[in-house]
Amino acid sequence: MAEVVLRRLLATVPVLLLVTAGVFALLHLTPGDPVDAMMAESADASTKESLRRELGLDRPIAVQYAAWMGRLLRGDLGRSIRNGEPVLENVSRRIRPSVQLALLAMAISLTIAFPVAIASAVRHNTGVDRLGTTFALFGICMPNFLLALLLIFVFGVTLRWLPISGYLDPLEEGWSGLRSLILPAVTLGLALAAVITRTLRSSLLEALAEDYVRTARAKGLSEWVVIRGHVLKNALIPVVTVLGLQLGTLIGGAVITEYVFALPGVGRLVVDAVFARDYPLVQGVILLIALGFIVSNLLVDVLYGYIDPRLRRL
Amino acid sequence: MATSTLGFAVSEPAVGDRRWDALRRAARARLAPLGAAVLLAAVVVALAAPVLAPYDPLAQDLGNALARPGRAHWLGTDNVGRDVLSRVIWGTRVSLVAGFVSVAIAAAAGGLLGMLAGYAGGRADGVVMRLMDAVLSFPPLVLALALGAVLGAGLTGVLLALGVVYTPTFARLMRGQVLSVKTRDYVEAARALGASGWWIAGRHVLPNAATPIVVQASLSVAFAILAEASLSFLGLGIQPPAASWGSMINAGRGYLQQAPWIVFGPGAALFVTVVGLNFVGDAIRDGLDPRLRG
Repeated sequence: MAEVVLRRLLATVPVLLLVTAGVFALLHLTPGDPVDAMMAESADASTKESLRRELGLDRPIAVQYAAWMGRLLRGDLGRSIRNGEPVLENVSRRIRPSVQLALLAMAISLTIAFPVAIASAVRHNTGVDRLGTTFALFGICMPNFLLALLLIFVFGVTLRWLPISGYLDPLEEGWSGLRSLILPAVTLGLALAAVITRTLRSSLLEALAEDYVRTARAKGLSEWVVIRGHVLKNALIPVVTVLGLQLGTLIGGAVITEYVFALPGVGRLVVDAVFARDYPLVQGVILLIALGFIVSNLLVDVLYGYIDPRLRRL
Repeated sequence: MATSTLGFAVSEPAVGDRRWDALRRAARARLAPLGAAVLLAAVVVALAAPVLAPYDPLAQDLGNALARPGRAHWLGTDNVGRDVLSRVIWGTRVSLVAGFVSVAIAAAAGGLLGMLAGYAGGRADGVVMRLMDAVLSFPPLVLALALGAVLGAGLTGVLLALGVVYTPTFARLMRGQVLSVKTRDYVEAARALGASGWWIAGRHVLPNAATPIVVQASLSVAFAILAEASLSFLGLGIQPPAASWGSMINAGRGYLQQAPWIVFGPGAALFVTVVGLNFVGDAIRDGLDPRLRG
């Protein structure tokens, strides 16, 4: 198992190098150069030139990349043009709402997906199944931002049950903090629930047709014991795969959800940085998101080994 | 009927028959006719937008702003009095172009790169596939946002950004197909006869590897349309005053209380189109590759 993890880690190294090269190129592909982005057009040429020298932008591109990588390895991701603060500080201030949103959305999606998928699979080809598959289709085809606005319209504007924007930390504000996260988490969670429902339903149907299920039923076990003890465990592998594949969609969805609900998270930070043309911040945040994405995928791969012992040898 | 090398008469379904079989299988999918009808309607609306749109989509009528849906304006008007229905109709063009063109870019680029990687093998394979892995290391929307920031807002930027985002999927698919096809006997035979690498690739490998690419492309169009709408919603896609479903929804969210129709008109068009395209994608998958049926 340790060998598999090590091999997987080593395979990540060239990808990480390419990712850093890509993110570095991002800043240098933008029209003009970073100094043009940092300073107003009216700034005089000599000031711009001295800033260019100071930032090392007059040196060959390979030297600039090496210097940037050196700073990265020391944990220096650069500074935001707008507030002059280090990128890491900007991100660490915003990480809490994003993590809370992701965890709550994940909890909502699993709470919905498991019962719906199990009911759909057990009552295959009945009205319950059709309802389950329609829900999955609805969730997959519904754009995040449209669902968010629909929920705002119903629960915020019409019924006035929940706040439509803003954020209060649930760890400090308790219930009112949790209320501020309900609509964003439901928005994000429903889309994920739809994907999990679809995958879990079809893998449950496959598992239900296996011989060991027939044997378990023949032993006189109740349907619930058969599902819980034999079917569900064997149907989980594709769900973990889908969860891994959906991480990217979840992060993208979080960007939009945070934007719609004005949540001060990392996703909102990316959008704001893009619009402010704060390229060092865009570069730093995107690199961090990519790193987080790579690490999460690595964890998903390791998780396979725990769920299915046969995969440990691969 | 064809004759085998051993002299037996073997039945070999003609290419035309196989196509009919695929079409029959696709049509048998329960929701395929509905999906096809939605796609056809969207194409007709996009092509005939100048004829179908009752008003100029950019014409403002401030005296008639936020008008409720009614006889004069079936889907109401927006905050500057523009007819929502006309803008939805014109927005169909943007969505379909974004969906089909970005997937075409990705299929062409990914297909070429995948073929290069699979066919050449060795170092070229390593470089291309690590590059694809690097692109896949970014969450798709975040990468599209970053590329959109570099390429600038507008349809071209969105098409290129989405093209890049979807390229690795096609490259991986094509590489896998090429690796399996290139060891087949007929490719070995062509090589033994002295055929050049490019000729073999074009004549034998490409046609046999194309099916999963077509299936993936048909399933990707709906997601590309959603992605374009998301980028436009965030303000990086089509710029106002041009009509795009995503930017219309974004513009309307400030008026959700007074005029929800500004959001829900284009929202319904987007949802129905994506559902329809999903049905068509599923039907094409079932028709061309029944093994992949969910």
